[in-house]
Amino acid sequence: MLDGILSGLTTAIMPINLLMVMVGCFVGTFIGMLPGLGPITAIALMIPLTYGFDPSTGMILMAGVYYGAIFGGSTSSILINAPGVAGTVATAFDGYPMAQRGEAGKALAIAAYSSFSGGTIAAIFLLVAAPALASVSLSFQSADYFALMVLGLTAVAAFAGKGQFLKAVMMTLFGIMLATIGTDPAAGVARFTFGSMDLIDGISFLLLAMATFALSEALMSILRPPKNTTAAEQAALKKLGSMKLSREEIKTMIPVIGRSSVLGFFTGVLPGAGATIASFLAYGMERNIASAKEKLKFGKGSIRGLAAPETANNAACSGSFVPLLTLGIPGSGTTAIMLGALISYGVQPGPRLFVEQPEVFWSVIISMYIGNIVLLILNLPLIPYISKLLALPQQVLVPFILFFSLIGVYLVTFNTMDIHMMVFAAAIAIGLRLLNFPMAPMLLGFILGSMMEENLRRALIISDGSISFLWERPITLVILIISVAFLMAPLLGVVRERLRNRRELPNDGEM
Amino acid sequence: MTINRDKFGALLFLTLALIYGYYIKDIPLLYGDEDAAFNAQTMPTAVAWLMGVVSFLQLVLPPRTEVHNLRDAFVGLQWRKVILLSVLMIFYGLTIRYLGFIISTSIFLLIGFMILGERRIKVLLGASIPVVVVFWFLLAKLMGVYLAPGDLFQIFG
Repeated sequence: MLDGILSGLTTAIMPINLLMVMVGCFVGTFIGMLPGLGPITAIALMIPLTYGFDPSTGMILMAGVYYGAIFGGSTSSILINAPGVAGTVATAFDGYPMAQRGEAGKALAIAAYSSFSGGTIAAIFLLVAAPALASVSLSFQSADYFALMVLGLTAVAAFAGKGQFLKAVMMTLFGIMLATIGTDPAAGVARFTFGSMDLIDGISFLLLAMATFALSEALMSILRPPKNTTAAEQAALKKLGSMKLSREEIKTMIPVIGRSSVLGFFTGVLPGAGATIASFLAYGMERNIASAKEKLKFGKGSIRGLAAPETANNAACSGSFVPLLTLGIPGSGTTAIMLGALISYGVQPGPRLFVEQPEVFWSVIISMYIGNIVLLILNLPLIPYISKLLALPQQVLVPFILFFSLIGVYLVTFNTMDIHMMVFAAAIAIGLRLLNFPMAPMLLGFILGSMMEENLRRALIISDGSISFLWERPITLVILIISVAFLMAPLLGVVRERLRNRRELPNDGEM
Repeated sequence: MTINRDKFGALLFLTLALIYGYYIKDIPLLYGDEDAAFNAQTMPTAVAWLMGVVSFLQLVLPPRTEVHNLRDAFVGLQWRKVILLSVLMIFYGLTIRYLGFIISTSIFLLIGFMILGERRIKVLLGASIPVVVVFWFLLAKLMGVYLAPGDLFQIFG
């Protein structure tokens, strides 16, 4: 392990990789700040740039962008109450009231210190947990992988939020459907290509990610323009106030950071949970354990209420790398896009990565420390300047985002048909967004769909066509039981809630 | 009668499941694969059934009380600009090969700014042509990405 850490450290501190962490953190902060654009868009926009790089460098850049985007999201949450990222919605609960009373600088500093601490503590957990899990998962067979993928997909739906469960399941299945388009890798026969040569290789992952996130998010910001910043918010942007924290404030923050880091990391490891749920859980936990007097401060600019979600969301980002790096199974939309990028570099994440390409495995983990340091020492002092970018006119920004999305895909294939397919896919994504369908499960279904099919095929061949592989190995059975529980619990909840609603409400003719 | 947003979405997916399921029969099977435990049609069949069942469930279950009806989801949106931008993107796809990267991208950005309401000449020209030239230089000269000159220029020699 020590050899691996040293090799990762050597790779991570190479000048090009250090530069990439900085660029990633900076670009991520900028994109994450823009309301409506999240880390998935930020990473998707970076993928085409990373094709010429070594896989470690590419991953380091993307990890930096991920951290930066979460950090940037906090900045816009605090300054203008417009979270750029879902994971920083809870940050606005107490961060924005602080900014309103003239303590924007302090709120940003608390967010930065909490993010740094959460990210760093979680990276230490990752350092211990990832190799341990990777060694265990070396004994995994196709049946176990199939079960794990089912678990990943059901968990994403289960954690999708109130009223979104069935929609998330539909979107996951939609993603799997899209993954079946093209040539079947095992039999070599064309599926759902309708004779089109452009579909023979299937739908490109990059095209789908760019169209459904970058392109459609940019177009959605035009379709439903974000609210204009008020005069008070403009003032907060111009005058941030002191960024210094008193000893008392630091004392208040330390136990919050400890608790929220642990909670955030483990929530991040769970497939489907991620930064958003982690931040809300940490906020809720902190409010529940606060004294009655302290509880009153929540929502009005409480330091604990700001530090908790900020720590947890960054810790969850590190946690979400555990299933990606050790099992090759992404637990969120963001790690799904990273998995897609890794596969396109020719790197197959999973337990073999730890053995065969330890430098990629370890350099990503080491770069997380570096990324956190960069965010603290480089981005925090630059916040007064970066926040001015929030005032950039949308009419200039959006065409650039559209251009980067289109050209990013075009430069890979030089096929103009891809541009047209992107517009078509973005139009469908906009329709689905308007109908309130979550997009991340689709991306996850798309990525895991073909892997799931491959593992299911292999497991069936090994068991001579019998489905007994589902219960023969205890590990497979346990994972599948958890998956069924993940699926059934919210499903029963949905059925019970809807039936109760029907009993309570008279029929008004609405379907 | 109005339809709520969730039900309409479910109806769309149910239709998709039916169409997708219908076309599964067009997937050719290799000789001997018909009776195999897993063939090229297995996964699509399973997914089509699952999608059918889930969307049907969403359709028949009583609606959530807080969900708005379909019309509300589409009210007050700036469709005009989005449609114009979509047409512009298609136009970009059609012209990039003929006009080349620099000209087509400059036109794309320029018209894009205008669609979104930018009228200042300084911004219109300053944020399009020079930025595109710098980007082209980065791609073609520094990163070594080959960007073919437009077909139009090849016609004129």
